[in-house]
Amino acid sequence: MNHHLTGAITLAGILIFGGVLQGCSTTVDRIETDEVVDLSGAWNDTDSRLVSEEMIADVLSRPWITDFVNKEGNPPAVIVGEIRNLSHEHINVNTFVGDMERELINSGKVEFVASSDERGEIREERKEQELHSTEATRNAMGQEIGADFMLKGSINSILDTEGKKQVRYYQIDLTLISMADNRKVWVGQKKIKKMVKQAGLRW
Amino acid sequence: MRRLVRPVCQVVRPLLLLLVVLTISGCVSTAYRDDPLEQFMVNQQASLALNTLEQLPQKNRDQALYHLNKAILLRMNDEFDKSNAELEIAKQIGANLEALSLREQAAAVSVNDAMRSYLPAPFERAMLYGLKIINYLEMNDLDGARVETLQLDVFLNQKFEEQEPPFARYLSGLVFDANGELSDALIAYRKSYEAYKAVEMKIPQQLQSDLLRLTDYLGLDDEHQDYLDQFQLDSWAHQTELEAQGEFIVVIFSGLLPRRHETAINAQDPRSGQLHRVAIPFYEQRQSDVENIELVSLNNRQQGELFEQLDQQAYDNLDDQMPGIIARAIARVTVKNQLVDNVSNQNQLLGVITNLAGFITEQADTRGWNSLPQQILLGRLTLAPEDYDIEIKLKGSAGEQITTKQLTQVSLQPGQKQFYSWHWPASHVTSRNRNHENTTSTTIYYRSR
Repeated sequence: MNHHLTGAITLAGILIFGGVLQGCSTTVDRIETDEVVDLSGAWNDTDSRLVSEEMIADVLSRPWITDFVNKEGNPPAVIVGEIRNLSHEHINVNTFVGDMERELINSGKVEFVASSDERGEIREERKEQELHSTEATRNAMGQEIGADFMLKGSINSILDTEGKKQVRYYQIDLTLISMADNRKVWVGQKKIKKMVKQAGLRW
Repeated sequence: MRRLVRPVCQVVRPLLLLLVVLTISGCVSTAYRDDPLEQFMVNQQASLALNTLEQLPQKNRDQALYHLNKAILLRMNDEFDKSNAELEIAKQIGANLEALSLREQAAAVSVNDAMRSYLPAPFERAMLYGLKIINYLEMNDLDGARVETLQLDVFLNQKFEEQEPPFARYLSGLVFDANGELSDALIAYRKSYEAYKAVEMKIPQQLQSDLLRLTDYLGLDDEHQDYLDQFQLDSWAHQTELEAQGEFIVVIFSGLLPRRHETAINAQDPRSGQLHRVAIPFYEQRQSDVENIELVSLNNRQQGELFEQLDQQAYDNLDDQMPGIIARAIARVTVKNQLVDNVSNQNQLLGVITNLAGFITEQADTRGWNSLPQQILLGRLTLAPEDYDIEIKLKGSAGEQITTKQLTQVSLQPGQKQFYSWHWPASHVTSRNRNHENTTSTTIYYRSR
């Protein structure tokens, strides 16, 4: 009897010890990139994806592209301007702007030119080519395509907090402005609202 | 067996008493702990202080303090990005610790207050946001500074029903001002003005000038006239003048926040022989070496001003906490006595050991963000757009020069603000007397400031 009891206690001890060890170790589970995982309530990849999906669907369905092609005979060239983060959080706007660029370029309806930040490096390389590359492979200066439209925008947020509850409201506004005459040819907007409840107790 | 134990206890208790008498002079004891980082900071050796901090044993419950101290040392080394990363970790820890831990509360009423995780005080958390803002400003990241300013606003609205930290509001005004959001800047400056009045601090002339400038520019004539009547300033910069010029803004973090120490009442019950102890924290008094600043460039001189007294905020915070601290200390005496009585009934020797353990573990919570400055001074120099060599002079209370720093080729652009900060932690303890708490062996009287 005692022998059985000792064995059961030893087994239970091993199981508990094993469980504790498992609880202490780091675990990694791969998940789908479109799976929604909200941990803190802050801006995350899901918000970024929702913004890019909404904006891409909207910008491609509006008549500004066909209007431009009918008039000029070529697809419009767009440059990404400043997208200001005026929200309460440090938000990386490059994620949804990158998504938008990719989708618009792949649609074949729009061309993107390098932004002001990217241009400097390209121009530096072109200067280097002038000095060091063969004439046949050299790219000449002054052949850049001028943008027809600039994409500008902002992210704003409103927080309403009471005790452990917080309502987070985000509004993302993107605008395409004609470089020729400052006309706004497209305005996209996405709103996201979340209710965040903080824990009242912890271990 | 009981016949044997009782004489042993009778011998042990006097020995314990002798030990207590030898270690503690009188029935009220005071304990001081030195901060190992302080000397390195005073000597401007932030890298050595960082090494020391890394080597110190870190308790899990003091995680927030570790990151907060590390953030200050990193910014002293001009590593603003890394400093912000540490401050962000501390911010998240603080947010998580807002939730109540029954385990820690139980430990606080049975062992001591320091068994709880360190949740930075509201004034410390406001400074956390403030330092992040200044880090972003020094990295010329106005949008980053603006994000933190919005978060600071939410925090201040949540945690301070009255007596907001005035510098936090002034700093918010500066960020909005630098971003060209003048309405928001005026709102922040107004709140700062109200906060200075609430804490009975002298309203900085720079703030007076800002309020006059913005109410004038935004056409708030009645409010402008009201400020004109109150401030009696001879001259102040108009918005159009300021937009045509560049501005150099220096923030000086002077001295170190006073440390908390422990004062304790030690007593023995004459009937049972049980030892009792109640320990509470108190603040030492400190004096910063730097009391004034002067900015000099070519023929332009501008005096800085005192914008924040963090030591006063620390004193006020302890005053607010003290009723709870005393209540928990008294609750601990009851819990520990009950435990000793129960154990003594079973085994007298074990009861003595339990009593001794309870006596030794009764310690005040003397933790605090000790690398914070004691006070904050700020100076603003407005100059025509150009590159300048600018000298920052730090001065003592009598106007004597303590040290100076020469910045070369500072580029000022029209309408832009350049930010620079400097820590000068040199300070000295002026008093370690318990000026503000009177303790007797029977009752604790705590006199509020």
